[in-house]
Amino acid sequence: MLSDIITPDLFASAIRMATPLALAAIGGTICERSGVVNIALEGMMLVGAFAGVVASMFFGNAWLGVLGAVLAGALMALIHAFASITLRADQVVSGTAINILALGLTGFLMEVVYGHPGTTDSVDRLMPFFSASPSGGGFFGEIWLWTYSIFLTHTPIVYMAILIAVVGQWALYKTTWGLRLRALGEHPRAADTVGINVTRGRYSAVIMSGALGGLAGANLSLEQVGSFTENMTNGRGFIALAANIFGRWTPGGSYGASLLFGFADALQIKLQLFRDVITIPSQFFLMLPYVLTVVVLAGVMGRAVAPAAIGKPYEKG
Amino acid sequence: MESSAPKRWKRYLAVVTERLGIPFVSVLIAIAIASVIIWAAGFDPVAAFSALWKGAFGSGRQIGETMLRSTPLMFTGLAVAYGFRAGLFNIGAEGQLFMGGLAAAYLGIVLAGLPQPLNIIIMLVAAALVGAAWAFIPALLKAKVGAHEVITTMMFTYIARYLVSWLVTGPLKAEGQIPQTKALPTESTLPRLDEMFAFLPDSRVHLGFIIAIVLAVVVWWILKYTTLGYESRAVGYNPWASETSGISVSMTTIKALCISGAFAGLAGATEVMGVHGRLFDQFSSGFGFTGIAVALLAKNNPLGVIFAAILFGALSAGSGTMQLLADVPSKLIFIIQALIIFLVAAEQLAKWLIGWTQKEEAIEHA
Repeated sequence: MLSDIITPDLFASAIRMATPLALAAIGGTICERSGVVNIALEGMMLVGAFAGVVASMFFGNAWLGVLGAVLAGALMALIHAFASITLRADQVVSGTAINILALGLTGFLMEVVYGHPGTTDSVDRLMPFFSASPSGGGFFGEIWLWTYSIFLTHTPIVYMAILIAVVGQWALYKTTWGLRLRALGEHPRAADTVGINVTRGRYSAVIMSGALGGLAGANLSLEQVGSFTENMTNGRGFIALAANIFGRWTPGGSYGASLLFGFADALQIKLQLFRDVITIPSQFFLMLPYVLTVVVLAGVMGRAVAPAAIGKPYEKG
Repeated sequence: MESSAPKRWKRYLAVVTERLGIPFVSVLIAIAIASVIIWAAGFDPVAAFSALWKGAFGSGRQIGETMLRSTPLMFTGLAVAYGFRAGLFNIGAEGQLFMGGLAAAYLGIVLAGLPQPLNIIIMLVAAALVGAAWAFIPALLKAKVGAHEVITTMMFTYIARYLVSWLVTGPLKAEGQIPQTKALPTESTLPRLDEMFAFLPDSRVHLGFIIAIVLAVVVWWILKYTTLGYESRAVGYNPWASETSGISVSMTTIKALCISGAFAGLAGATEVMGVHGRLFDQFSSGFGFTGIAVALLAKNNPLGVIFAAILFGALSAGSGTMQLLADVPSKLIFIIQALIIFLVAAEQLAKWLIGWTQKEEAIEHA
């Protein structure tokens, strides 16, 4: 039975489930590294998912849909940036407002555009790059089957997420951009003193996080489903936030944590097929990301230290 | 000194308009922006808002519905406001609400047969305790290792929701297809007010509304006149100064977040006991999150919470009529809610929009 559960598609679906979490989590990493709290990932993702479907329908092209999703996410982030950087509003409050706004805006526009609540019409989905179906034979054939099934069956944004994680990890620690970003979140005054524009730096970080949140939304609506359903993010933005913390505010860590959470989710779905034999309630798996994050924050697995200046508006003095 | 009397009155006036003014102006601007959105979407804003008003206050029955919907928001609004006063952002009121609802749904069945007043008291106290307990770990982590309560209470919200989801589909599930607990016996439910007050015919408003208002007054009194309240406010203002003057910041933090959790727990209990008579997955439509908007609009004043909750309750009660009579999607009220939060949070914007800055000096001196 174990061989029925541990199959290539279990790992493939873990990678698939990890993708929206990872993209939003890396967005959260970039935003929070600049010193701005982002609990609005959920809303940015939701708006991205909706805008992606609408743009794809309007232009008849799924890639332009992705572009629409990214822009819409960035636009929501711009509101967050304006409120929390320029107006120095409480960043958590602004994030809360964005999440509620996203829920209202997508629900409202859904009825305006489609004339009914619930789910939009289907649009063209982004398809996987490769479509061969390998036939396993012999030892090497088996390895090829596993490799192919786990890594080569995915849609474009899944690969983009991996690329973004790798490039992000490198950029955060090896480039001037990364050094500046970290300085903004650790000691904005010092950054300011050496000539870094704190406001501009934070704006660009927040907008980047929104673009990534929008891309995460596009992955959900344009790759995984092919349509938009109200509140389809269903808390993923908060799991992403958790993944960002679990990954210690690094892009690579965010991706790794998302992979873990994605695996828990994939396993939970898989185990539903074996409900009669394995009686662990699926809710326990779904709880896992949240429980693990609390454990990490409790310092049980080493301290998780947030950027020092996080949440504090910067006032030029 | 006498010559300064008019000046003093002007200052009082400035303070009053400042206190009431920002929330009022924020609501007005939010409605104005919402009107533009309604108009841009091809609907009639005047028709929309008059339908909304009709749905919220048009008749005794509708007023009762508004009261009903404002009840959980008063509890969660008080929860969030109490936390804010102590410098804590209890974004996880929703989770504590779920746990309070769970406590009530469980005890309501167990206590079947006892007299109703006794049942109600036991269930409410238990729900408050369970809500407080659900806030305890985040509170402890905040006080001891500095883990931010926004993250931990949010995580606990999802844990609570999955816990409830598991219990209503498994161990506590009533017989039948629907994942829900057994219906509470009458002696475990809150009496309805329409039976007591003739002007609220056929509305579902229950005793929880009155309990919420009494609680708001009690919280106001606690914050203003007791040591507990003083310490909470002091820690909220300036934790370092409080610590120096002998207040234990970690104790106060733990107490404040647990009290906040208790109020949220009551929201869940009164929904279960007064509205649904049982527990199921979707028994809260985000009351914990709307509570944040309520607390912000009330500027964390417990008495203000009453009015802010009634406003949001009215929006919720009227949104159905708005959709029915003016075709405007009821989701609009979330947009209004978000706009109000933005405007209250970004005070500067509201001040700027009404040219308030000139009066700033007068306010600062008062």
